[in-house]
Amino acid sequence: MLGQFDICRPGSVAEASAVVAERGDDAVFYAGGTELLILMKERLLEPALLVDIKTIPGLDAIALDPGGRSLLLGGLATHRAVERSPLVREVLPELAAMETAVANVRVRHAGTLGGNLCFAEPHSDPATLLIALDAAFTLASASGARDVPAADFCVGFLTTVREPEELLARITIPLPGAATRVAYERFKTHERPDASAAATLTVDDGVVTDARIAIGCVGERPTRVPEAERALIGQAPSPDAFAAAADLVRDLVEPTEDPFASSDYKRHLARTLTLRALARAGAADGGTNGR
Amino acid sequence: MSHATTAPASEAVGRDVPRIDARIKATGEAKYAGDLVVPGMLYGRVWRSPAAHARIVRIDLNGADRAPGVVAVLTGADLSDIDPRYGHALKDRPLIAIDTVRFAGEPVVAVAAETQAAADDAMALIDVEFADLPVVATIDAALAEDAPHLHDTAALTPGLFHGLGKLTLEPGNVCYHHAFARGDVDALFAAADIVVEGEYEFPAVYQYAMEPHTTIAEWISDDEIVVHSSCQHPFLVRAELADLFGVPVANVRIVVPYLGGGFGSKSYTKMEPLTVALARKAKRPVRIANRVDESMVTTRRHGMKAWMRTAATRDGTLLAREARAWFDTGAYADNGPRVVATGADAAPGPYRWEAVKVDAWGVYTNTSPAGSYRAFGATHLQWCGELQVDEIGRRCGLDAVAMRERNLLEPGESVRPGGKPLDADLKGDIRKVAAALDWDAPKAPHVGRGVSVGLLAAGAHPVSTAFVRLEADGTATLLVSTTEVGQGARTVFSQIVAEELAMPVARVKVPGGDTDKTPYDRSTGASRSTTLAGMAVLRAAREVREQLAAIAARVFGLPEAAIELRAGAAWHEGEAVDYPALIAAHFGMVGGELMGRGEVRPDKGSGSYAEGPVFWEVCVGGVEAEIDPETGQVRLRKVVTVADVGKALNPKLVEAQEMGGSMQGIGNALYEEMLFDPHTGALQNATLFDYHVPTFADLPDAFASNIVENGDGPGPYGAKGVGEGALAGTTAAVATALADAGAVLDALPATPERVWRALRTRRDAAAD
Amino acid sequence: MAVETTAPAQAPALRLLRMTLNGRPVELEIAPRELLLPVLRDRLGMKGAKLSCDVQVCGACTVLLDGVPVSSCTTLAYEADGKSVETIEGLAHDGRLHPIQAAFIECGAFQCGFCTSGMILSTKALLAETARPTRDEIAAYLSGNICRCTGYWNIITAVEDAAGRLAGDGEEEGA
Repeated sequence: MLGQFDICRPGSVAEASAVVAERGDDAVFYAGGTELLILMKERLLEPALLVDIKTIPGLDAIALDPGGRSLLLGGLATHRAVERSPLVREVLPELAAMETAVANVRVRHAGTLGGNLCFAEPHSDPATLLIALDAAFTLASASGARDVPAADFCVGFLTTVREPEELLARITIPLPGAATRVAYERFKTHERPDASAAATLTVDDGVVTDARIAIGCVGERPTRVPEAERALIGQAPSPDAFAAAADLVRDLVEPTEDPFASSDYKRHLARTLTLRALARAGAADGGTNGR
Repeated sequence: MSHATTAPASEAVGRDVPRIDARIKATGEAKYAGDLVVPGMLYGRVWRSPAAHARIVRIDLNGADRAPGVVAVLTGADLSDIDPRYGHALKDRPLIAIDTVRFAGEPVVAVAAETQAAADDAMALIDVEFADLPVVATIDAALAEDAPHLHDTAALTPGLFHGLGKLTLEPGNVCYHHAFARGDVDALFAAADIVVEGEYEFPAVYQYAMEPHTTIAEWISDDEIVVHSSCQHPFLVRAELADLFGVPVANVRIVVPYLGGGFGSKSYTKMEPLTVALARKAKRPVRIANRVDESMVTTRRHGMKAWMRTAATRDGTLLAREARAWFDTGAYADNGPRVVATGADAAPGPYRWEAVKVDAWGVYTNTSPAGSYRAFGATHLQWCGELQVDEIGRRCGLDAVAMRERNLLEPGESVRPGGKPLDADLKGDIRKVAAALDWDAPKAPHVGRGVSVGLLAAGAHPVSTAFVRLEADGTATLLVSTTEVGQGARTVFSQIVAEELAMPVARVKVPGGDTDKTPYDRSTGASRSTTLAGMAVLRAAREVREQLAAIAARVFGLPEAAIELRAGAAWHEGEAVDYPALIAAHFGMVGGELMGRGEVRPDKGSGSYAEGPVFWEVCVGGVEAEIDPETGQVRLRKVVTVADVGKALNPKLVEAQEMGGSMQGIGNALYEEMLFDPHTGALQNATLFDYHVPTFADLPDAFASNIVENGDGPGPYGAKGVGEGALAGTTAAVATALADAGAVLDALPATPERVWRALRTRRDAAAD
Repeated sequence: MAVETTAPAQAPALRLLRMTLNGRPVELEIAPRELLLPVLRDRLGMKGAKLSCDVQVCGACTVLLDGVPVSSCTTLAYEADGKSVETIEGLAHDGRLHPIQAAFIECGAFQCGFCTSGMILSTKALLAETARPTRDEIAAYLSGNICRCTGYWNIITAVEDAAGRLAGDGEEEGA
């Protein structure tokens, strides 16, 4: 049974933010509750006020920006909505595919993308892919809004740069160009993923001109591996080049110690998944890109 | 082979009769312990120790006992008027911690309140000061020379149902030692062409019955106890409660609703003593419904480490096996001694040995207590022995099937001296598995095929009783105390009654167990219910049948031989008198009932119950597995089991046991492992986030079960039990299949990391 | 009401929960902290949904909220306000089983029955979305519902069978 708390239902982002700002640690934003309520049941978190943001209009929209260059996801879009969105399936099918294997259908129906990202559970899928996609998160509060690159958002175990009164209102994902392909690979033996790798690869005239590699779940937070990305630039998208990049990933990731798998094996998994993601993103018929 | 119990042309038995509880389970109407509300019932919650080994210095309730809604708070101090120790094997466990805690999760304070919320809220107030004692969280730590002792073992007294002969314990952390030997093991190993030796580890596993342990207890008039509980063995719980609280057995009533799965987790006594003690303190009925993390530290499967070696000639004839196994029983023995003995029995495997030597020990550690889980013992050791048989085969050029053709026991051969000879055709079973796996077909890289065969001493103690009442309207009520855990026992029993009384299954009612109303049954487990309770049911029904025949003879004025019972009536040459009319004729009014009583004892029946075990349950499996060499992840392409059941009274329910048992075997083989911190003893994966129970996503690509009906069982119509063999057989076959694919494991579960390492070890060895 | 007697002094005000439960309007006062599962089970007598894992993994507590499957163990009762809740008790009508229930019975899709309510309701949500799911689609959708007894095979068969019944296959035989 949960401890005692009250619920309020603000009508706007400004109002919601103002409530949290005023109540301090006493109040938290509440959306899908998929992570929050479990911690509250364990009484690891005991907020006095849940600020229900689900009914704030517009926060669950899924749309293209007016120029059609970016996909805009409201922070309150649920995993299930992203998974099933015809628009997402059309313009960024890898994102929809990633969502199909998040937890189970009940969690995907209830859980929001924004909630998932703000919770920053390391064993989670979306952040890793969004980092590789160079997404930006819009944090809104009563005093305005700021954009944070996805790669800079999570700074540690269950920790982000978000201030308590800031609400993750929007995720902006620049749509990959025709020459860019995206692949997300996960490895999962428990309810939550054990390791994941996301890669975007832009190949121009047989040469990699841009690459982003993000590794999730093995460390305290999902991270890019710039050294591995740099190693690919200027190379032909070949198995050797991918292997060299994947070796760098193996050497540079910082695995967390836990009873479930050794650091050794986690490094190996990071390498293997990177290799698979790169191979898929680098293959003519593999990976996915824009329309 | 002929059986006195073989019935003529079957109307009800041997058919896929739908479960008699199907409808109420599909509509949500079936009642489980947590669905029941007793008038005046309070809600309990247990404050459990975070420390694995510590002295309790001070319990500070901080007003929990005066908090709104709280009615009673129980601590060890409330039990000074009774001996609070219980345990059916060893009385080593206080029903709530007294002075000392021995595992993280041990109950220290119990609260009863008007609502669950109030009981839960009270938990936050309680504060307990501990003085840490050294923690022994592993078998090795517990057996170390200078290890602290969890119990004063020499002073422990046997429980009511230890069933293990004379129990004498040395000081230390060993709660049981089981050993047997025959033949000259040392000489055979010294002279053998091939010797394979290995060390193995098997994990602690949680049964994960979907329904956590739930008990409602009432304490009435100071000497009467009524309990509704999710328990598999109500009569053993009744006896232990009577013993603990010093009341007559007849004053303890255990009512068992439907169980949301058991698999051994609800065998023997679990949360009942604590709930009764809390109700006694509160003077009100109390319910304690465990949360899953609490049930995970209430019982589990034993983790095990073992050493084993096997000797053979160069032509692949097995000669001798020696094994030592240590079972981690946690802080209290629970069913540990029996698990140790059964594991030792399973260690040799069903082969023709010139010599065997087996030693097995139960070891106390500061972890949660371990007890029964489906196919215990066999699951622990079958995979080790089968890996060694296959390794010998590899060295002498015989494949796994040929090795078993050469060495398996034949029906009638001795399995162990003084025990029941083999009552199954194991070679025939293995041939079926091999055929289903398309054994000789070429294999792709990283694909392996494996078989496994083992025996499990099944049946537990052969004591069961039953009453059949044929009511005045011709319907029957069967009173039997077997717990319906989902296996379908009530359905099979109704088929037996229908068969014997020549009436439709739908007219047989089988209410749940209630020790005030339904007669004694030793337990529900060890694959015993169809074989033993089923035989008591058959005998009870047959008594009624005899009465019907006698009444009919009087009604017709003919000898009994001239009368046939069929379709709910007595018949003579086209003339029928139905059962209601016979009963009315007998009593001279519309009313009354015919009653039959059946019992099973060791010295009765087909003459074989006295000779243990009741039957040898066959544990046969076959697996085709594919390994992803880059990650070590295993995909099962096919799983095959054999249900060697003598006679399938309900083939669909037999197949259901195989499907479910094999899936649990897959979980044990590939995923499931309770991780205790080796230093603190705390369980690190007490939720389904981190403890993986197989889901739809883990299904093999294909599954096939073979039902073998050789009529060679000691139960009704030649039946023998089913339910456990598929688990042990599948677990071992996963291990042998992985070995065939190149990953020879010395520890389960075969996590991707372990498989990946095993492949690398082999690759490195090949490179040397 | 039970909650009032146990709530500490600072307990927040109760709120009115208005929902449709199995087609019938229901109105009751709830504390904000009340979860949907105990409200359904203990206050409204709908015992079919069960508590097992308590962390949204096992699916034993699944009920449908406006047709969408939710884990009622980790859903605030507050979320049901203004919505329709469907539990296993709402499936059979006038003694006639829902085709999914009939299929589960016929195919032997349960043993202990503890997961069955959730499994059947998840199936209902699946079939509302995908009338004729493949075996892979069934396994994927139901992978959030754990059954420890059956090994799942008969459940997959039952879902296929139920899809056929709902699509009217064999209607003439009275399926």
